[in-house]
Formats: sequence, C-alpha cells, structure tokens
Amino acid sequence: MSSFIRIMTVVARRDFLAIVATPTFLLFLLAPLFMLAMGLVGGMGAAGLAESNRSTGRIVALTSETNVEALRIADARQRPVVGQFGAPLLEVRSVDATPDEATIRAVFAESGSDTLAVMVGPLDYPRIWEREEGSRSGRYLALIAEEALRDAATGANAARTTAQFQQLAVAGPSNAARQTIGFGAVFVLFFLTLLLAGQTVSSLAEEKSNKVIEILAAAAPLEAVFLGKLLGFLGVALLFISFWVLLALVAGLVAAGMLSGAAVPAGGLSAAAMAAAPATGWAFFLGVGFLYFILAFLLLGAIFLGVGSQAATVREIQMLSLPITIFQVGMFGLASAASSAPGSPLARMAEAFPFSSPFAMAARAATDPDRLVHLAGLGWQLLWVMAVVWLAARLFRTGVLSGRGSWAFWRKAALPELTKL
Amino acid sequence: MLTSQIADKGVTLTEFVVEASGLTKIYGQHIAVNGVSLQVAPGSIYGVLGPNGAGKTTSLRMLLGIIDPDRGSRRLLGSDRPTSVRSRIGYLPEERGLYPGMKTTEAIAFMGALRGLDWHEGRRRGAEMMAELGLERVTGEKIRKLSKGMAQMVQLIGAIVHRPELIVLDEPFSGLDPVNQERLEALVHRERARGATVLFSTHVMAHAERLCDRLAIIARSERRFEGTVDDARALLPMQVRYTPRDGTDAAAVAAHLPVGAQCTHGEWRFAIDAAGVEPLLVRLTGSGLGVAGLSIARPALHDAFVHIVRQVDASYRGDSELAATAEDAA
Repeated sequence: MSSFIRIMTVVARRDFLAIVATPTFLLFLLAPLFMLAMGLVGGMGAAGLAESNRSTGRIVALTSETNVEALRIADARQRPVVGQFGAPLLEVRSVDATPDEATIRAVFAESGSDTLAVMVGPLDYPRIWEREEGSRSGRYLALIAEEALRDAATGANAARTTAQFQQLAVAGPSNAARQTIGFGAVFVLFFLTLLLAGQTVSSLAEEKSNKVIEILAAAAPLEAVFLGKLLGFLGVALLFISFWVLLALVAGLVAAGMLSGAAVPAGGLSAAAMAAAPATGWAFFLGVGFLYFILAFLLLGAIFLGVGSQAATVREIQMLSLPITIFQVGMFGLASAASSAPGSPLARMAEAFPFSSPFAMAARAATDPDRLVHLAGLGWQLLWVMAVVWLAARLFRTGVLSGRGSWAFWRKAALPELTKL
Repeated sequence: MLTSQIADKGVTLTEFVVEASGLTKIYGQHIAVNGVSLQVAPGSIYGVLGPNGAGKTTSLRMLLGIIDPDRGSRRLLGSDRPTSVRSRIGYLPEERGLYPGMKTTEAIAFMGALRGLDWHEGRRRGAEMMAELGLERVTGEKIRKLSKGMAQMVQLIGAIVHRPELIVLDEPFSGLDPVNQERLEALVHRERARGATVLFSTHVMAHAERLCDRLAIIARSERRFEGTVDDARALLPMQVRYTPRDGTDAAAVAAHLPVGAQCTHGEWRFAIDAAGVEPLLVRLTGSGLGVAGLSIARPALHDAFVHIVRQVDASYRGDSELAATAEDAA
C-alpha cells in the first residue's frame, strides 16, 4: 500500500470514527424523520387548505326560472365527467331580468364562499364573468349551458353516448416517464448531496481549532489529508444511506406481510410501472446512479472542503454556508433543466460542466440507452475531484499554513507557489 | 548506527542529517527568515536558539517542508525533498494540538499511523512509553481530561512513537513543569542514545546548555552564531572578582589590573580573556598585593545569548540612528 493511500485511510478512519462514535450522530441519522414529520404536518395543512378552498369556492348561474332545472340536470350529468376537482359547487338562481354589472359585482362580493364565475343571460348566448381569465370554472358554466340547451332541443331522454373507459398496458417505454425518472434521480442526488456533502465545509475547522493541522501537514501530503477527509465523510454518507435503505426495505417487507395476498397484483409490478423503466435498465441505472452520487459527493465535498479550509473562524464557516447552498441549488437547477430536455445543448452543457455533471448524467441514464458514455462521465468527474482536491490543498498550504492569512492566496507572492509541483 | 539505517533505506549517505543553506522566507514586506544555514551531524543534539519572533519556527517549518523557502536549499536525511522522508522524522510543533475526543493511546497510535506505524503497535508502544514517563494513570483517558502538560507529553510521545531518525521539537519545554522538563531532557538523551538526531528550538538557555552538542542562535531573522556551547560562552571574557589584602593602596592595585577594572567596596571587578587568566595570577601573586578573595567565572550560555542578541539589536538601532542623521544632514 503506497504511503499516500495509507495516510488517506488513516485520516478517513479517524474522521469517520470521530463522527460516527458520538451521540449526536444518532440525531443526524434520524434527521430525515424530522423532515418527514414536518413534511407530513405541512402536507396535511396544505391539503386542509386546498379542501377548504374547494368547499368555499362556487360558481353561480343567474338565469330565468325556466332554465334553472335544466342547468341543474346538466350539472348533475357533467360533474362526474369532469371529476371531483373539475368544477366548484354550482348555485343556480332564478332572476326576472338579466342582471346589471352592479348586481354581478354584489354576487362576487358575497361572503361565505368565493364566487369564481357568474353566468347571466340566455343559454344560447350567455355572458360569463370570471374572477380569473380563462378559468376552468367559467368554461364549465359554458359547458352546462350548452348541455341544457341541447336537452331543450332534443329532449332529456334523447339517446346519448355512453363511453366505456379501459386501461391498456402499452408495450415500450414512455418518454415522459423516463424524463420523470431522470428528474427523480437528479432530485435524489441533489437532496443527498445537500444533506451530506455540505458538511465537509467545516471538516478542517476541528484541525485548525485544535492546532492538529500542523502535525498533519508535517506528517502527510495535504492532498492525502484532504482526500482522507472526503473519504471519511463519504463513509458517513454511505452509512446514512445504508441505514435508510435498510429501514425502507424492512418497512416494505413488514407492509407486504400485513397486506393480504389478493391485494398484491399477481404479476408484481403493474404494466404501467414496468413501462417506466429507465432506458439503461433498472440495474444499470441504480448502479451508475450510486456511482454518480459518490462522485457528486466527492466533487462538491472537495469544493466545500477547499473553500472551508480557507476560513479561519467558525463564523466564517457559517457565512460560507449560504453561497455553498446557493451553488448546490444552482447545480440542481441546471441538471433539472437538462433532465427535462434530454439531448438538448443545455443538457449537454450540464453533462459537461463538472459540478452539475453527476446529476445530469444520472438523468441521462434514464433517457439514453447508451451505457458507454457513463464511463467517460465518471472518468471526467474523477479527474475534477483530483483537480479540485489538489488545488484546495495548494491554496491551503500557500494561504493558511504559510501564515499569509486565510483568504490571501491570491496575492502575488502566493501565485507562484500555487504553480509549483 | 544512524548512517547504516540510512544506507539500509537506500538513501545516499550524507555527513549531516540536516543541511540548510541560505534559507529565506519573505511574507510581503517582512523578511521572516534571511539566509539561515544549518548543519546537524547524525546522532547529535542541536539547538536553535533565539528570542521570540526571531524566525526559529519558520526555519523549522521550511526544513520540514511544511512551507517552501523563497530562497535557499535544504537537505534532510540525504534527501533534497523533505516531504519524501516524512515517515523518518518526528515533529512536535510549537502550537500543540491533539483531538480532544481521542483517547491518549489512540492519539499516539494515530500520529504513529500517519508516519507508517501499525495502529496496534502504536497503541502498544504508546502505553509503554506513557508508563516510562510516569503517565500510566492517564493511559486510555480522553485528551480533554488531561492537563496541558500531560497532553504535551502525550503529543511528544506521538511524535516519536514511530522511532524516527530525526526528531524536530519546536519549543518542547514551554508549558511543562520542572518535573516534566526533566523527564523531557531525559527522553531527549535516551532518543539520542537510540541513535536519533534531535533538533530543537528554545529560548530557555538552561535546557540548551545541558542538552546541545551544537547550537545556532537566530536573531532578527538571521543566524548570528553557530558552534558548541563552549564556543558561545567563549564569546565573552571571563568575569573576575578580586579583593586584595586590607590596607593595599588602590592606585597600586589598579596598576596591576587590566584597564577598565572597577572597585566597589574594596572588591575589584574586571573581564579578561581565557588566555589572560594565568598571567593575571602570576602578576597578582608576584605583586605583593595579596589575595583576600578571588573568583574567576566563565560566562553562561545565557550571558552569551543576551550579549549576541543585544549586539544585533544595537546594530539595528545604530543603523536607524545613522539613517536619521543622514536625513537630518540632507
């Protein structure tokens, strides 16, 4: 084992144990539970709000006495067609004459429920006032007006079309589904790196505050120290992921055991779910996705480690968190845009740009069957990991260790040192 | 012994374990170290002495390859690249540092592992060395529970647990109580007896006087002296205190003593070179002045150090005065 790798593993081992063998790690491990709980509470609140909005919304038809019943029948017939959320509750009021604008405004202003649209005038030439231009509520009023008019012309018992709906499992992939999988991969990778890689920004703070850094610098190449730290944090990240994957598997098995046999489809996954397989196949997609996660972690972790290593105080490290998060979100945005437009110049750019590359390439694995391109992608990203770690170590040596001051690496005197091999 | 170890590792044999020539480090407008040269022989104990801020730590950091010099060259254990012989060097930095959450033996094993020592062997040796230094009661304790001095001793053990050929200690005695200072001196002697070369910096002269085979004094970023302790002490003349027999005429006494001799309450004080001691004794006994009291003292390393540093400071002050005079004249 070469001395470089040996030192790397020594540092990684120390960092891994220093993080994992503490009570606070348990809190970190369970952090997603708090996020889930918060999400659940937030989701329930949002659902309640949406339900509340639905129950308080209405559409109003102000029409002559003769049309009232016809509109109600038409509404009863069309409402199931447009679905539960297709139209707000209908209120039909009988009026003697076409109401003027002031009356309509008064209807919109009534308390109790939001009036989304109001229809006035004859059914063959109704006038519809709507709160939002081009709203679904307004179109629904027009639809039932036409339906009521047709009933009046042909009679309510006239023959009507009775459609039968049947699901058909279409063989072959769905492009939209693959793009969705691609976006899912981008999101998962982003979420995990946001949660895990950002921690490396403070990883050298301990060494600086404890003055251990000079011992490390004297005993080992800083590149090996930096890589060791990255590996230590990667170990923590993989432990974190393994824990949750294991937990999900156990939960899945328990849930499957609780379900009756009849509730599970005979063929396992439904045909629709099977059709949504990524272009490279699930096994390859998951495998390469895992590798992309590792490289995304190492790449972003290396940047954060390098930037964080220049910080002299905890306050500076805290200040660095915001730009780092913004940078991560920027990479997520770029890769997300790429996943929605596979093969486009934007996608190619996101795949080539080193820091969005792992996300964009994972998305590509969902839509493009070419597998060999991922070898190039992984190699390219690995190259950048090395380059960033090398540069970070150089900056650290020329800036921090030489006593020049933490952020003074751009000074003229320091630049020649950066170029020394 | 050391040279054969070096030869075993396939490194070119060299007369010196450490060779530095003209090391210079400049930070902006400030010259931290200016043209420092050192040569440390195998198996010796070498001291780098200097007042605070003289450039000792920067010099050691350059020697070890932690930072690169702007000018000059260095050669450690026969290699021009100090970083390539890291595993054969033990280093105790001036700023002490250990992970507070680590146990003592783990911390020692960790530092050993960085230099290539097996973890288990590191733990074993660590426990053994702690017992030897009277620290067995804190073996297995976490670093944060130790006193500063104990933590420093643990770090020192960590620096040498891999049995390095060259040990570099930056201000190793600072922060230690007298008992631990004595233990550290014994440890340095033991490491030298093992065959290691020890290079350490300090501004406490007593340790240097007891330990060093050779030493260098750095002041105002430059090396001002290099040699043995005796060489340093020889820079200053002997200090003589002489009391003639009662009733002796002062003028007659003064005539037999060197120019500049001063009398206080009947005791004469003056300085002479080592070579002048014997003629002085002959003169005094032959003069009939008598000898009621006589002491001839060699100056201590402390005196030589203070003398050198003051001379350097004086020359700097002189330069600035000259500069001021020149400006006034202009």
